[in-house]
Amino acid sequence: MKSAEDIKQCFRKSTLSTNRDRHEAIFQEILRAQEQSRRTEPALPRLVNWSSIMKSPLTKLGVAAAVLIACGIGLSLWRNTGSGIALADVLARVEQVKVVKFKWTFKWFGEDPNKPWADTRGTQLTSQEYGWKTILKTTDPNGGERTGTELYASRQKKPAIWIDRTEKTYIRMAKDAQAQDGRGPRQPVNVKDPLSALKEILNTKYESMGRSTIDGIEVAGFRTTDPNYVSQGKQKEPSQGQVDVKIWVDVKTLFPVRIEGLSGNLDGKGGRSVFSTVTYDFQWDVPVDPAEFEPPPIPDGYRITDMFPERANEENAIQGLKQCVELLGNYPERIDFAYLWSESEKSETPAALRVKEELKGLTGLDRDQKKLDALKPMRFLNKFYLGLSGKFYVGMASKDPAYYGKTVTPQDTDKVLMRWKVSENEYRVIFGDLRAETVTLEKLADLEKALLK
Amino acid sequence: MEDKLLIWKLRRGSRAALRRTYDKYHSDLLKIAVVLAGGMNPAEDIVQDVFTRFAQSAGRLTLSGSLRNYLITSTLNGVRNLRRNRSRHETQGLAEADYVPSTEKRPDQWAMMSEQLEHLSAAMSSLPYEQREVITLRIEADMTLRKIAQLQKTSISTVQGRYRYGIEKLRSLLNGEIRE
Repeated sequence: MKSAEDIKQCFRKSTLSTNRDRHEAIFQEILRAQEQSRRTEPALPRLVNWSSIMKSPLTKLGVAAAVLIACGIGLSLWRNTGSGIALADVLARVEQVKVVKFKWTFKWFGEDPNKPWADTRGTQLTSQEYGWKTILKTTDPNGGERTGTELYASRQKKPAIWIDRTEKTYIRMAKDAQAQDGRGPRQPVNVKDPLSALKEILNTKYESMGRSTIDGIEVAGFRTTDPNYVSQGKQKEPSQGQVDVKIWVDVKTLFPVRIEGLSGNLDGKGGRSVFSTVTYDFQWDVPVDPAEFEPPPIPDGYRITDMFPERANEENAIQGLKQCVELLGNYPERIDFAYLWSESEKSETPAALRVKEELKGLTGLDRDQKKLDALKPMRFLNKFYLGLSGKFYVGMASKDPAYYGKTVTPQDTDKVLMRWKVSENEYRVIFGDLRAETVTLEKLADLEKALLK
Repeated sequence: MEDKLLIWKLRRGSRAALRRTYDKYHSDLLKIAVVLAGGMNPAEDIVQDVFTRFAQSAGRLTLSGSLRNYLITSTLNGVRNLRRNRSRHETQGLAEADYVPSTEKRPDQWAMMSEQLEHLSAAMSSLPYEQREVITLRIEADMTLRKIAQLQKTSISTVQGRYRYGIEKLRSLLNGEIRE
């Protein structure tokens, strides 16, 4: 037998078996991460333009509409182009619009555009004065079933509403949810909010496509294939490096008539995967009734979810450490929620026994959910520490954290329990008695030397 | 095709798709992390982080390659980050600040290694890390040498060399373990 083949066999025989309880507990945490991300950065086709509303609720209709026009057009088109249309005039025209209604389609497909993996259609109504709503349907590639989802975002300080008719869920979401999760405002990567799209398109090279006719309307077309259109603000994926965006503008009214966008690996190298969006049937300044923007009452039988995410911070991390002492009798050796979860199962402290009493009679996911709620301070501690380590959120830098729960106890009032960097020469320190101080790098070095004694 | 559907569903926030992805790949990723990181404890952290980040970013994920390779590459990056963090702490005299030593067993670990995996993990830990990566990615992840070279930002011939030397050393270390 060849040596490499021996090693391969060794790899095959090397197995591991999973502890089912911990496996499930970890999955619940992962599921939570998905849920939070789903609410704060909703999934792609359901929520076209969602984040733009969340970030700047309807205050930028002019900008949004301008993007619809500007899509695919470069900054230099403020001058007249070969089509005779000056986009500055188009922009100015749209900036005056108070209400716009339009339809859109989104498809994701591979080699065969006629057999998309995803096919979503929506209608959006946006009013500077009242709010924004979208109703969309998705075709299920497995069975042709269509899913209805409704999104409402009012200009007033009401929570945004997301109604999923298939899952029968009614979600109330804080408008500033994105800013509360510690990552700050963001935007979906694959579907740009209008403001981001505008910023990107203004930096692209473009070309005039001259004049043509769409549905009997004489239009001027513009096109960009500049990869910068997709690369800004995106995670770098080679397959996403190609783009082809076209916009047609009514030469008489100066309003956009149709916008088409393709992105993905359009050349098919490495497996074709293309996103196609079409925005069309624009209706400008249509009369609207404020009631149209009011979400319907909660239908019978719907599950209500409130999404007002709390941010993990120093304060609730300290609360998490306090809970560790109450539930486990000491600081845990490590900050890892799955570990804390299982340690709490074994603990016999009064607090741990109280939690167990509350969980009595519950099984499966109900028990896990109840326990997750009970361990909320620990979860925030875990989230906070992961955030410091730069491991929780993509793109977040490590703040050089360290945790010494293995040796430090609540009685070690002056010993460093946890620390992380707050500036070039300063660290934040939580001591054994859970007071927090900012110390210089030199002082931290002294404090940590004491840990080694 | 199933993975493409999984991604499609994940992009729409499907819990079932996340569950399927997690059940389908967590053991493979744990095993890879164990042999790369040198123990179960860091491997558990790394794989949990991989899935957490995956769950957070799945709504905007577009893959040019396979889902499996994406997750493996994420695991690889997790191991590299861990090594970097450890290296930094070690220079400050703060080794083990974040992690329980890898040889220490927790009574209720997420997963238990078979004896064979323990031997393999121990043997792998004695290899230079780059060789460990090449062998793991070639054998366990079934990646081409070209792809591994891309990941390691080096030439294919260098990867070939690492693979050959690594296999030879591993074989000598595991002598008696791999032959029945």
